[in-house]
Amino acid sequence: MELLFQFLSNTGYYLADYRNVIMIMVGSLFLYLGTAKRYEPLLLIPIGFGILVGNVPFFKGFGLGIYENNSVLHYLYFGVVTGLYPSIVFLGLGAMTDFSSLLARPVLMLLGAAAQMGIFFTLLGALAFGFLPKEAASIAIIGGADGPTSIFLTAKLAPHLIGPIAIAAYSYMALIPVIQPPIMRLLTTREERLIRMPELRQVSKKERVIFPAVGVLLCCFLAPASIPLLGTFFFGNFLKECGVTDRLAQTARTAIIDTATILLGLTVGASTQGDVFLTGKSVGIFLLGAVAFSIATGSGVIFAKIMNLFLKEKINPLLGAAGVSAVPGSAREVHLVGQSEDPENYLLMHAMACNSSGVIGSAICAGVLWSFMVGL
Amino acid sequence: MYGLKAITAHNGWAMALAGALIVFSGLVLLSLVISQLHKVLMFFEKKSVDVQQDPEIPDVEPSEDTPGFLLPKPFPADINEIVRLYNPLIEALGESFYLSELYEILRKNDFPHPHITLTALRESKILIPDGDGVFTWNPPTENDDNEKNEG
Repeated sequence: MELLFQFLSNTGYYLADYRNVIMIMVGSLFLYLGTAKRYEPLLLIPIGFGILVGNVPFFKGFGLGIYENNSVLHYLYFGVVTGLYPSIVFLGLGAMTDFSSLLARPVLMLLGAAAQMGIFFTLLGALAFGFLPKEAASIAIIGGADGPTSIFLTAKLAPHLIGPIAIAAYSYMALIPVIQPPIMRLLTTREERLIRMPELRQVSKKERVIFPAVGVLLCCFLAPASIPLLGTFFFGNFLKECGVTDRLAQTARTAIIDTATILLGLTVGASTQGDVFLTGKSVGIFLLGAVAFSIATGSGVIFAKIMNLFLKEKINPLLGAAGVSAVPGSAREVHLVGQSEDPENYLLMHAMACNSSGVIGSAICAGVLWSFMVGL
Repeated sequence: MYGLKAITAHNGWAMALAGALIVFSGLVLLSLVISQLHKVLMFFEKKSVDVQQDPEIPDVEPSEDTPGFLLPKPFPADINEIVRLYNPLIEALGESFYLSELYEILRKNDFPHPHITLTALRESKILIPDGDGVFTWNPPTENDDNEKNEG
């Protein structure tokens, strides 16, 4: 009888507290959004399931939890805290990305730069809220709307905030269809949304092969701290474009990125144990993350409008919203908003150009912020 | 410490300004370089053709961008005609294929407006998504056409 009582007192039902229950509800919501609503299912489902796994109550000291040494989850989490998984995800991302549209219209890269302003505004906001500089930099990078970059920088600067920052970054990425369209509509007139973009010129294979080599050198010489992200990103793209390593490129954009995404999502989700995650700081991070994402979207759109003051051939300012690096969600949203005004207006490829420059821009931002924090 | 005082104490203004300038200048530099890339390549390609050209043999080898087969000019606007032109390409790709592969072939063969055409084919349910970027080809059959005409 005593044995039975002891067993019962060690079950999750007995040990659960309200924080676990709240987090399990959050995890279930993620699973619902990913499965039923198809909001970024490849991200939300591993994270959502990880939240469920991480919030099963257990007795401490048995090597079960993600924060306990020698637990399986702890070993898998190693790839998050060292920045390994984000780096691998970038390799796959590079092997998937087609830079043709960016090469055909390089001026669109400026929109990717403009959308990064959300990061620096949020840095100021987070400092004003009382966060320490390293924490503020980690929160600010949510404005880049790039999950792996956010996790990478947070792992380097404020590892205790990985859970809330990763969840905030991925949540806002999944909520792009809800967050971005109202901002786009608010900041543009109907006439601006109707602007059609010209057909892109054809880009030669040689240009596509040379670009990753030029890109990695220019960007990483400027911000060497972004090597772990941009090094693998441009390497993956070179594998894709050089034409003699199709097998490697195929593996990078399928098996490798999928494996890293599964492990990244599951362990980030599992790191949101109720007692660690549900704090005042997490609420602040979520609020600042929303601000960062909104400012990033807005600054891209406004910068596109400013560019139109000087350009002969006007660009559709909606494209500015795709300057955040949420690939391909924000590009798709720009295309859909453009088509809701004019079904014949095809903005997708131009938006992908802004999107891919946003990926490069947010990785440079991460490198710059990391180097600013050295010695602090 | 909170508010403007905290920003100033942690050197926030300088970090934000310098960070924004660095990122902007980096991407401006990259865009400037890539905007000139095709001109530089064209210059070198022209030079190498000049060097290799034998004055007694005026024929020049076709470049890699030469179209693989003849396309009708003007390119048809009718979706059925487009399907007919796309059929041989799809047969080469197999039953299911990555859209990126099809797009690449279209570009190599100088098909006009590949994005617009692919979108039109998707909207017409001729290109059916199987998920993860894989598509299958579902061309309209004669029966479909007859049904449409009857309808």
